[in-house]
Amino acid sequence: MTVDAVTLGLDLAVIALIGGGLSLDRRGAFQFMISQPLVAVPLLGLCLGLPVEGMKLGALVQLLWMASSLFGANVPHNETVAGLAIGGMYFLAVRHGEPIAPGVLGAASILLGAPLCLLGRWAEIQSDRANMLLARRADTTVRGEHPEHIARLPALGLVRTFLLGSGLVTGGAFAGFGLLLALHTPLTTVTLGAALQAVMVYVVPAVGLGVALSHLRRRRGLVLAGVSFVAALIFLHTGGAG
Amino acid sequence: MTTATATATPPTRVGRLVLVLVLWKSFFFLAAANYQRMQNVGFATCMLPALRRLYRGAELRAAVERHLEFFNSHPYMACAVLGAAVRMEEDIAAGTASPERVRAFKRTMMGPLAALGDGFFWTSLKPFGAAWAIYGVLYDQLWAPVAFLVLYNALHLGVRIFGIFRGYRVAEQVFIDLNRMRLTRLSDWAHIVTGAALGLIAARQAELARMGGLALGDGLEPFLLGTLIMISLLCLKRQLPMLALLYVFAGGCILFVVGLQAIFPILGS
Repeated sequence: MTVDAVTLGLDLAVIALIGGGLSLDRRGAFQFMISQPLVAVPLLGLCLGLPVEGMKLGALVQLLWMASSLFGANVPHNETVAGLAIGGMYFLAVRHGEPIAPGVLGAASILLGAPLCLLGRWAEIQSDRANMLLARRADTTVRGEHPEHIARLPALGLVRTFLLGSGLVTGGAFAGFGLLLALHTPLTTVTLGAALQAVMVYVVPAVGLGVALSHLRRRRGLVLAGVSFVAALIFLHTGGAG
Repeated sequence: MTTATATATPPTRVGRLVLVLVLWKSFFFLAAANYQRMQNVGFATCMLPALRRLYRGAELRAAVERHLEFFNSHPYMACAVLGAAVRMEEDIAAGTASPERVRAFKRTMMGPLAALGDGFFWTSLKPFGAAWAIYGVLYDQLWAPVAFLVLYNALHLGVRIFGIFRGYRVAEQVFIDLNRMRLTRLSDWAHIVTGAALGLIAARQAELARMGGLALGDGLEPFLLGTLIMISLLCLKRQLPMLALLYVFAGGCILFVVGLQAIFPILGS
């Protein structure tokens, strides 16, 4: 099998740009929530010519990290890095690898990429620690001739966040893509293929839903979840879906 | 003439343009967040356009220094503190208030506003919007993620803009105005309605599993059983680690299918 190095390089550049840019949206700037996997993965898919696949994958990845929230000094799992790396390796495998069934590829990508959320969190903690130097620099600047120069300091924090996010997402996506290529033969066997399909169809949504439900603060929310689940099942099974 | 211009006293009111600049800089509020004094650099840089208009020389230095103190709040809600702090700085520059007033205000407000913002935006509005958007995606509604962004950011930007301009107008009273928005109540409702969306997602996912026709029997029962077990576990002990759940259940599922295939080769050759 041959991989077109130029196209692969361009794809990695797109992944790096989106990874860095959306890491900024997550923590450093704007917080428009474009960095949520639900939006980030389809956006990456759109840039790499696979928007519909990105949408489906992004929805499942979002479910898994639904309970991930920033609180004060608490740094949660980094769903942006994990989501984009999962999306990146999936899209690279579709565009540059031998064909694998979408469900199998999705499950393999999620299982390979999910731990990157821990690496992303570690990077954010390191970034916050490094920002302590910026705070000290702000103290020195303000005592000097031009206190207004502190306005430049956040830009340094933004550059660091961009580079860290970009590096982690690109590295994660590329390493995952390499692993998917190496695992191509076992992934295309009937038994492991069926097992991974089952993981994608049952396990990933079930864990995601469980995590999302545990996040609900109101018991009435849980009751409503049960009621709507049963009502929708009855509706779907009596031919309501049309 | 030139000397008179150079030594002219700075104005005691900032214009609307300065407030817009403060709003713009507030989008980078967390850029230099750190463990020592949290968002202090972000707060000081947001205040800078107003401070530069109101002060010169040593006074400017002192003003920037008082905003480099510890500050930790929610990035959207902090806009209300920023707007009010600009108004207070005007009063300090005019000599009608002491610097202690703005310090005390920031210390008092950051905690309650952080709790309000975290509770509403991070833990209620985001999961609410995301859950309904996921439901839309499961029905191939390609606009669903865009709808999530529009809904979330309409409220996000609304709170930011309201915070800066209303905070500037009414200073300390801004908290009363924010309280009138009943964000806590909205947050409770969002949690309840998110529950409904999650139930619908579970049903749709079960339907997709059934239609998928995997060679594992009917398909619906294992999913239902897995979901119910998961829900029970998570509801008994909240905040179970997601990664552990994912790998334990995925590993179990893979071993089950591979083992089943070894004993009864039902999956075809």
